[in-house]
Amino acid sequence: MRVEVDGAPVEVPEGATLLEAVRAAGARVPTLCFDERLAPFGACRVCLVGVEGQDKPVASCTTPCRDGMRIDTRDPAARRVAGAVVELVLSELPEPPAAHTELAAVARELGVGELRWTGRVHEKRHDMRHPYLALQNELCISCGRCVRICDEVQGAFALTATGRGFEANIAAGIDAGFRDSTCVSCGACADTCPTDAITELSLLALAGTTTEEAQA
Amino acid sequence: MSRNLTALVARHSSLGEPTAVELLAQAVRERGAVVADDVRDVAARTGLPEATVHGIATFYDDLREPRGALDVRVCTGTACFAATGGRHVAELSDGLGLALGERSEDGSVSLGETVCLGFCHCSPAVRVGDVVDAGPQAVARVLSREPRQAAEPQAQSLLAEPVLTRAGDWSGLRRVLAELTPDQLVEEVAQAGVLGRGGAAFPAAVKWRLTRQAPAAERFVVCNGDEGDAGSYIDKQLMEHSPELLLEGMALAAYAIGARHGVVLVRSEYPRSRPALEEAAERARERGLLGPDALGDGIPFDVIVVDGAGSYVVGEETALLACLQGLRGVVSSRPPYPAQSGVRGLPTLVHNVETLCNIPFIAARGAQAYRELSPGATPGSKLVCFNERFARPGVFEIPFGTSVRELCEDVAGGLRDGARLKAVQIGGPLGGILPASLLDTPFDLEPLAAVGCMVGHGSLVGFDEETGMRDLARHLLGFGAQESCGKCFPCRVGLTRAHEMVQGDAAVDRARLEELLEALELGSLCAHGGGMPAPIRSLIAHFPDELGLA
Ligand SMILES: Cc1cc2nc3c(=O)[nH]c(=O)nc-3n(C[C@H](O)[C@H](O)[C@H](O)COP(=O)(O)O)c2cc1C
Ligand code: SF4
Ligand code: SF4
Ligand code: FES
Repeated sequence: MRVEVDGAPVEVPEGATLLEAVRAAGARVPTLCFDERLAPFGACRVCLVGVEGQDKPVASCTTPCRDGMRIDTRDPAARRVAGAVVELVLSELPEPPAAHTELAAVARELGVGELRWTGRVHEKRHDMRHPYLALQNELCISCGRCVRICDEVQGAFALTATGRGFEANIAAGIDAGFRDSTCVSCGACADTCPTDAITELSLLALAGTTTEEAQA
Repeated sequence: MSRNLTALVARHSSLGEPTAVELLAQAVRERGAVVADDVRDVAARTGLPEATVHGIATFYDDLREPRGALDVRVCTGTACFAATGGRHVAELSDGLGLALGERSEDGSVSLGETVCLGFCHCSPAVRVGDVVDAGPQAVARVLSREPRQAAEPQAQSLLAEPVLTRAGDWSGLRRVLAELTPDQLVEEVAQAGVLGRGGAAFPAAVKWRLTRQAPAAERFVVCNGDEGDAGSYIDKQLMEHSPELLLEGMALAAYAIGARHGVVLVRSEYPRSRPALEEAAERARERGLLGPDALGDGIPFDVIVVDGAGSYVVGEETALLACLQGLRGVVSSRPPYPAQSGVRGLPTLVHNVETLCNIPFIAARGAQAYRELSPGATPGSKLVCFNERFARPGVFEIPFGTSVRELCEDVAGGLRDGARLKAVQIGGPLGGILPASLLDTPFDLEPLAAVGCMVGHGSLVGFDEETGMRDLARHLLGFGAQESCGKCFPCRVGLTRAHEMVQGDAAVDRARLEELLEALELGSLCAHGGGMPAPIRSLIAHFPDELGLA
């Protein structure tokens, strides 16, 4: 199959997504809920691109290529909405994400600086009882990567998404923390988390974050 | 939807066994709340991981809040809002001394909210156990512990002969089994031009062909009985008063696509719908219309009913499929479409209740007769329903193309007590709001779209001059934020921000609001986040001053 990315032709296999085509062409669109080890999820909407002949931008991670498609990674509406979405997501955190995180990098890439939103933010809630893994719920942006990697790659099913709407978050086990769950301490969740909501404790100590014990 | 979790569901429970959602709801009914032991128990019974079951218990309204021995749930839907401006909620809360979501310390009473009990014809509505009381005195009766079951709405057809407001007689199925092959039935439905009545108006035959062609040993017909739209009680009417018609429609769809199993997901806000359907199914089984030879010698078809547990977005088809397998009712991106991978990963045809109720007429009388029901307009007829503000609220079967004015003034008799209609929201919470000045718009897909509205599922919620449009915006966005499934970022955060923008009386920055609406419309994964801006855009266009735009 042949598609065009920003005017440049690229050959992709049957079933490839727009995101795969973009990457094959050496172009870039930012992503937040995407991890190539996992099935595409389509939650963050930061990977929006324009497609010729379609009136609305589409999520590149979940949209399959069709032969002859012309993809525009610089589509103004797509970029505008992606920026607005990242600004919204930053506004749910009580403090800005650490500079080394994927979220902070995507915000820089999209030029999202000063937040204009005030209003509700996530409540601080920490679980520090596991010897290696720390969970800071207020930094969670519900990208689902940790839950999916624990399900799709590790097969441990220790994590779940919780709540809905603005209160959506994640929990280990029956919300009793990693230690009292089926967690096998592989660290895959911490590895994929784009915000440091789940981190390896040693890294957290290096970053000098203060922590308090959670109430289960 | 996690493939591993659906595989676990398929491996551990057979069709018709209670889902994890139903088991958790049972725990709430028995003990007032889900506790950790319930989660472990349900995990053991369903084969699902404990964390997963915990996630399910935190998703649905019915499972999240503690319930007292006396469980009072007040409707916060749009028809009830139009009736009282929300006063009935405050009165109940004051009278019981409980905030929404609270249970008294001794566990004797709890107060929760519920979005639309389907008694929008006599708002405000309050549910106590399985009794739904409604009307101006409902709150007083509930507070004096004497709730009374409210009268059901009336249904009436304005056609020469009713197509939808009738009991089913199975004549369509009988004729089809004798005269048409499955392919011929699909073609008949294509000729009839049936469009889905669940809101998206998608051509039914396209889904039938896709599902029929998907290679699989087994296929499913799923009926979407979630009817989440506040102000709508059309599907409730059909499920409770024409259940045979619905079952016949499902059997016909099953014959066409080659399915052996049908599932109806019924929202828990309608306590009478499931019994009505199950009794009708039992009668049909006795007559051999469902069961081992339903679709011909040795060709089985049967239907089971599964409960929802309180979530608007579960009406979206992928979320519906998750819920009826007992999982969190979260939207999944498509592809795969349900026609490719639905219940248990098998090809599944999902239809709205009313859509399926259209099929028996086509089967009995043919596509041409169906197209003649609404000359020059969308094929078939449509059920609409009106809220309590109107003089003659109820369910009416109408031809497409009738003007909204005729509907509001002639069919529903205008507003009661001589009040003036200020605006009407059509087709549910994701539908635009038509100001009184545009009432001459024909009730059909294109004319309504041209004025920023939609047919949607067919409810007409009228507002009188008492309703402030800023209050309405706050009501709608509060609903939107609360019901967001939380999957995609624009809707999860954006609807909360939009709701915050219209709190209080401070001026609303119009450019900011429109920027946010654009992010919701273009960014959202499903039509919840994508559609919530529509009524707000109507208010911006027609009531900018009341909205307090700056
Ligand atoms: C947020 C949301 C809520 C929905 N709620 C319902 C519903 O309550 N009932 C329904 O039939 N369809 C609902 N739908 C539409 C379904 O996704 C689906 O299109 C429909 O059930 C298909 O049936 P139809 O083709 O017969 O209309 C909803 C869609 C969205 C996005
Ligand atoms: S904890 Fe991290 S990886 Fe998991 S959902 Fe939240 S932000 Fe995503
Ligand atoms: S638009 Fe809202 S309801 Fe729909 S998938 Fe996104 S978060 Fe869920
Ligand atoms: S019963 Fe309250 S809005 Fe329908």
